Amino acid sequence: MSDHDHDQNLDYEAGTASVVDMHDAVKREKVLQPSGHEPMGVTALVLCAMALIGGGIVFGHNNGFSSSIYVQDFYTPEPPPSEDGAAAADENVAWIDKWMKDGKKVYNNCIACHQPDGLGAPGQFPPLVGSEWVDGGTERLGAIMLNGIAGPFTVAGQSYNQAMPAWNGLSDEKIAQVVTYIRREFGTLPEGQDGVVTTEMIEAARELYGGKPTWDEGGLLAIPEDAMLPGAKVDLQTGEPIQ
Amino acid sequence: MSDNSQVTAEDVQERAGIDRSVRFPVMFFFTSAAVWLFVATLFGFLSALKLAVPALWADCQFLGYGRLFPAHMTALVYGWAMQAGIGVMLWLVARLTRVEMTKAKAVIVAGHVWNFAVGLAVFAIWIGKGRSIPWLDFPGWMWMLFALSYLMMVVWVIPMFRVRRTGDVYISEYYVIGAAVWFPWIFITANVLINRGAAPVMAAGAAGWFVTNLIYFWFAPIALAVAYYIVPKIAGRPIFSYPLAKLGFWTLAILAGWTGFQRFMGGPFPAWMPALSGAATLFILIAVVATCTNLLMTLKGRQKLWEYSPSLRFTMFGMLMFAIYGVLAGMSSFFSVGKVLQFSHFLVGLDTLAVYGFFSMTIFGAMYFIVPRVTGCEWVSGGMIRWHFWFSAYGILTLVGVMLVGGLAQGGNMADLDQRFAVSVGNSQGYVIGRICAWFLIGISNLWFVYQMGLMFLGKGRKSEGPTLIHGEPGKSAEAAAGLNPENA
Repeated sequence: MSDHDHDQNLDYEAGTASVVDMHDAVKREKVLQPSGHEPMGVTALVLCAMALIGGGIVFGHNNGFSSSIYVQDFYTPEPPPSEDGAAAADENVAWIDKWMKDGKKVYNNCIACHQPDGLGAPGQFPPLVGSEWVDGGTERLGAIMLNGIAGPFTVAGQSYNQAMPAWNGLSDEKIAQVVTYIRREFGTLPEGQDGVVTTEMIEAARELYGGKPTWDEGGLLAIPEDAMLPGAKVDLQTGEPIQ
Repeated sequence: MSDNSQVTAEDVQERAGIDRSVRFPVMFFFTSAAVWLFVATLFGFLSALKLAVPALWADCQFLGYGRLFPAHMTALVYGWAMQAGIGVMLWLVARLTRVEMTKAKAVIVAGHVWNFAVGLAVFAIWIGKGRSIPWLDFPGWMWMLFALSYLMMVVWVIPMFRVRRTGDVYISEYYVIGAAVWFPWIFITANVLINRGAAPVMAAGAAGWFVTNLIYFWFAPIALAVAYYIVPKIAGRPIFSYPLAKLGFWTLAILAGWTGFQRFMGGPFPAWMPALSGAATLFILIAVVATCTNLLMTLKGRQKLWEYSPSLRFTMFGMLMFAIYGVLAGMSSFFSVGKVLQFSHFLVGLDTLAVYGFFSMTIFGAMYFIVPRVTGCEWVSGGMIRWHFWFSAYGILTLVGVMLVGGLAQGGNMADLDQRFAVSVGNSQGYVIGRICAWFLIGISNLWFVYQMGLMFLGKGRKSEGPTLIHGEPGKSAEAAAGLNPENA
């Protein structure tokens, strides 16, 4: 592509050219002067500060330098809509389905010991499936939730020596949801019971047992086996109390 | 650097000697780059056309978008931008170190190898051997050809810098030497990772990293070196602030390598990688602020020269585009904005803004300054330079405008899960037509440029005294045309 012979304009030889023979572009050129050392203006400082703040905002949402976190803050993808459209589906969902769904979310706190399937770990953590404490009255279950329990105690014929912490930091509604969830999901309910525990019932439990120390097995057994927390039954479709 | 701002006969003679020593490599790179620019523009126009009318030439595999666009990008980046940049780099280093180039023949031989590599790369992509890796589309083994010929062309600037005959290191020297040594690092790293068995996800990350690094580690430093040289030369003023210029340099040097992964936000990377890259892209705005402040303050009171001097006009427009590029890149680093824009036309517009709007316009400025000095004749027509400028400016602004708005529309449609994907394609059709118009304007502007460059190469330039100005009688100085007094302060 290049042609080395087209230098007829450069008719001076190295070292012999006089300034007069130089072409104008070289002659008219100005000298590069030593650079100044002026201070930075306020506007420039403010703009630089804005760049730093912007970068800090982006960097601040990175959840730390963890190699296992893949989702940035503000970047949770929206769930895909259901086939009927999300809004329409929302109206048709029964109250109990939503209550159970929320209960399942709260149950995430429990899965480390009781496991997602409610079977626990044999010899280590007691199961919820087949447990007389779950299948029996709600008063004992509410009491355990609020104050926790320290072993040894017996569940489904096996002895455990573990401590369960108190969950009284959760709201009444969340405790009601998770107790409903474990009773309906893992329990074997007596004839005629729907297993639902309402917020009102947990409020009553807090009045009875709130602030008491951690239970041992003897203290819990003092509560009648089939004692139910007081409160109105609710319509499973609407969630309204039935008089 | 002389303390005296008066031009002495020794200065003139020395400058003429230096220009003479680099004239063959510089003109070789400039003219072959101009030819590649024309090829790239043609591919760019055709690929934009294919995007708007996909059925056009549908039966011809050589005219599919999947081949035209990578061929366009390869010709634009390696054929035009890098070759023009290397030409500018050699001339700047020779001028700034005041050392004559002694290895001109070796550089030209290596330059032929580079041109052969670019031609082979474009041809391979065109016949369907491309790899669909942005900016690294050529077949895998070819990277060594590029790396070796780059080293053969650029290695000479290191000994020239070592034996420099100046006391202080001028700010442009920082930038140009930085660019010379950074390119091998990013190019070899990216290619080794991609070709030698990095996990596929990591290879995608390396490709994105390479694109932004080529922009911040090579295009930006060379363009800034040009701006820091041209602006004081034309204005006859010293640089406003040396520390501020060094702040810009070190900001780039430290932060540029961290950018790139923000292109994959929400992707299968640990969340800190896109976050860190996004933060680095925003921090680099410090370099943008430092550069723009410095150049504007240097030019203060003499902005009117902008209307007359082609070099100054192109360079300052390029720096304006640098600022716009920095802001847009920073803006799309925020998750809330980036998640809408990341898979849209916006990214194509952003990359083109970097290569054409910011780098190429600055390099045009450098060429309008350098070519009369190394060839000994003046540009033919100020009118043609004017057309070149305005068609380029309108072209690139159109492209960036439609790609930004179109990207927002397209990305918004894609993020809306209730809509079919076809809706996002259909709604972006209007913007794609804008892209054709932009490439048409850029194509016209480059006709003027390639024609003038050809005349200069053949020694058919104007022989009379005095520079070719954008407006006004040829032969007058830019200062006289602008009605300013020569200033020696």
